Amino acid sequence: MADKKSSFWKRGNDTKLPGRAQPVANSPDLRPRSKTFEEYEKDTNDAWDDEAEDLSHLSSPVKPLEFNHTGSGEFDVKFSGKKAPLKSRIKEVVKPRSHTTGGMSTSGGGTGVQHSGSDSRRNAPQDTGRIRSMSPPSDPFDDIPDRETIKLQKFGKLLAGPNTDLEQLRKLSWSGIPSSVRATTWQLLCGYLPVNIDRREETLQRKRSEYLKLIDQYYHMRDDSIHKDTFRQIHIDVPRMNPSIPLFQQSIVQECFERILFIWSMRHPASGYVQGINDLVTPFFVVYLSYYISGDKNAETYDLSLLPNSTLNMIEADSFWCLQKLLEGIQDNYTLAQPGIQTKVMRLKDIMKRIDGSLHSHLERNSVDYLQFAFRWMNNLLMREFQLRSVIRIWDSYLSEADGFATLHVFVCAALLLKFSSEIQSKKDFQEIMIFLQNLPTSAWTDDDVQLLLAESFKLKYMFADAPGHLQN
Amino acid sequence: MTSKEEEYDFLFKVVLIGDSGVGKSNLLSRFTRNEFNLESKSTIGVEFATRSIKVDGKVVKAQIWDTAGQERYRAITSAYYRGAVGALVVYDIAKHMTYENVERWLKELKDHADTNIVIMLAGNKCDLRHLRAVSTEEAKKFAEQHSLSFIETSALDSTNVEAAFQNILTEIYNIVIQKAPADGGQGGGGSVSETKVIKIDDQKDEKSGSKMKCCQKGN
Ligand SMILES: Nc1nc2c(ncn2[C@@H]2O[C@H](COP(=O)(O)OP(=O)(O)OP(=O)(O)O)[C@@H](O)[C@H]2O)c(=O)[nH]1
Ligand SMILES: [Mg+2]
Repeated sequence: MADKKSSFWKRGNDTKLPGRAQPVANSPDLRPRSKTFEEYEKDTNDAWDDEAEDLSHLSSPVKPLEFNHTGSGEFDVKFSGKKAPLKSRIKEVVKPRSHTTGGMSTSGGGTGVQHSGSDSRRNAPQDTGRIRSMSPPSDPFDDIPDRETIKLQKFGKLLAGPNTDLEQLRKLSWSGIPSSVRATTWQLLCGYLPVNIDRREETLQRKRSEYLKLIDQYYHMRDDSIHKDTFRQIHIDVPRMNPSIPLFQQSIVQECFERILFIWSMRHPASGYVQGINDLVTPFFVVYLSYYISGDKNAETYDLSLLPNSTLNMIEADSFWCLQKLLEGIQDNYTLAQPGIQTKVMRLKDIMKRIDGSLHSHLERNSVDYLQFAFRWMNNLLMREFQLRSVIRIWDSYLSEADGFATLHVFVCAALLLKFSSEIQSKKDFQEIMIFLQNLPTSAWTDDDVQLLLAESFKLKYMFADAPGHLQN
Repeated sequence: MTSKEEEYDFLFKVVLIGDSGVGKSNLLSRFTRNEFNLESKSTIGVEFATRSIKVDGKVVKAQIWDTAGQERYRAITSAYYRGAVGALVVYDIAKHMTYENVERWLKELKDHADTNIVIMLAGNKCDLRHLRAVSTEEAKKFAEQHSLSFIETSALDSTNVEAAFQNILTEIYNIVIQKAPADGGQGGGGSVSETKVIKIDDQKDEKSGSKMKCCQKGN
C-alpha cells in the first residue's frame, strides 16, 4: 500500500502475460520510474497477444479506467479515442474460426496431438499479431482466418513437445483454446499430463488404472451407514444436473458422475461432497468426450452407447483427476461454513464498491446483500449462469492462470455485474433486483459476449493486482 | 421498496426448509409460476421468489426464500431465517428419513429464527401413493404435538399447493392483525405505526444487517 501512488502500468511491466498470477507482493520496484511507451510496449507485447490483445478498445460499461493515474501521457495517447467496436470485429474472428477448427476433427484414441495440415502461412512472422495489436486499429483483424490457423499451429507446436513450455501454453490459451486441441491442453494446464511428451502415455495409463483401483477401494462404501447420506445426495443431484443437455440424461453418464463424485468426496473428508461440485465435472467430461468423438458430432447430444467402454473409462478417469486438481485450488469453498466463498464474495463487493459505486449503492439502498446472489456464482463457478459452451470457454482462461478458479473468477463475477450494471440499476426494488440477478439474461450469449466479458475481467484483474490501492479513496 | 404496479398491504417473509430433494423448489415454482419440473436443478444457497394473494380482502405479498437442503449449507441458509414470519418445513412422504429429519429442521428454526415464527409441516409428493412411507395420521399427530399446522401436498399434480401457502399466510396474517391492528395502532410491542412496519418478534429484528422487513404495509 505504501506504493499506492505508483502506477499499475509501471508495475505491470513485470507481467508478461495476461492471466498469470500477479505478484501482488510489495517488492520494491527498482526500475526507473518512468518508461517510454516503446519500452512499455516491448515489455508487455505478449500480454496482448491474440484476441485478448485488444482489451484497450473495449467499450466498457464502466467509466473508463483511470489511466491518468499512471501519470504517463503515453497511455493517454494509447487508450484515448480507441473505442472502436471490438465486438463487430470479433464477429469476423469467430465465424472463420469455427469453420477452421470444425474441419480439424481429432481422431479417437491415443493422446497424440493432431496437427493441422500444411499451411502456407506457417512462416508468417510471429510478431505480426503483436505489432498489429499495439498499433492504432486501422483494421487489425483483416487477416483473421490466418491468425486462427497460426494459433492452432502454435498450439500444435507446443503440444508436440518434446517438452511443452507451460508458460507459452498458458499465454496462448488465455484467449481461448481451439476445440481440436482443448482436451490435451486442459490436461497439461491442470498439471495432469506431464510436459514431456514421452511420459504422457505412460502417465495416463498409470492414472487411469489408479482410478480403477480407487473405485475398487472406495465405491462399495457408498452403502455404509456413515457414507450413505453422501451417496444419497450425489444420487439425487446427478439426474438434476443439466436437464437441458441430453448427454447428462443417460444413465451410463450419471453412473460415471456418481463414481467420480463419491470417490472424490471419500478422499476429501474435510469438505466432502457439496451440492454444486457435480456441476464442475461437466466441462471436463464434455471436453474429454469431444476428444474421442469425431469433430462434427456434438458431445452434448452424443449417444454414449456408441462409445467403447474402455474409452468411457478413460474419460471418467481423466475427468476425476482433473476435477481433483481443480478443487485443490478452491477447497475452502466447500469446507465447513464455506469460508472461501465468504471471502470471495467480500472481495467481489470490495471490487464493485471501487469500480461501480453507483451500482454498489443501488444494491445497498435496496438491501441486496452480495451473498444473496453471488453465493451461487462462487459455489458453482457461474455454471448456473452460463451455457455450458460458454463455461468451457471461460475455463480456457481460468486454466491458463495459476489460480484462475479462485482469483480470475472473482473478476469475471465483477465484470458480469458491470455488464448488467445499468439494467440492475433500472430495477427499482429488492425483489426486482434479486429476480433479475437470479436469472441473468445470458442464455443467448455468443462467443463474442463471453470473450468481451473475459477481456473486461482481465482488465480489472490487471488493474487490481498491480495496484491494490489504485482506486481507493 | 414498493412499486406502483404491485401494491400490497402486507409483506411476509417465509422460508422453505427441509431435506434435499423433498420438492421445496417445485412447491415454490408451482405456487409462484404454476410450473413443475421433473428435473429441476438443485438449489445452491438460497433462491428467492414472491407472489401476492388475497387474505381477508387484503393483498398479502409472500416473499419466499427457498433454501438448499444439504447440511453443508446450513451456515448460509440459517441466516435467512431471521426476520421470517413463516416457515414451511417440507418432507417427502415417500422417504421416511426426510420425515425423521423434520425434528432437526425444527431445531434449526428454534436456534436461528424468531421465536414466534409460524411453522407449517408439509408432506410433499403425496401423488406417490404407492410409495408412501409416512402415514398421514402419524405426521398429523407429530404436528399436533409440536403445535404446527399440517398439510400434504403434491407439487407435481398441484394438490394443496395453493392451500398450503394460503393457510400459512392466513395464519401469519391473523397473528399480525391481532398484534397490530391494520388501523396502524400500536400493537405487538413497538411496531412502527408510521410506515406500518409490523414485526412478530421485535426483539431480534434489528440484529441482522438486512433491512428487509418481515412484514410491512405497502403504500
Ligand atoms: N412425484 C413427485 N415428485 C416431485 C414432487 N415435487 C418435487 N418432485 C421431484 O423431486 C425432485 C426434487 O425436487 P426439488 O424441488 O428440486 O427438491 P428440493 O427440495 O428443492 O431439493 P434441494 O434444492 O436439493 O434442497 C425433482 O425431481 C422433482 O421433480 C411431487 O410433488 N411429486
Ligand atoms: Mg431446491
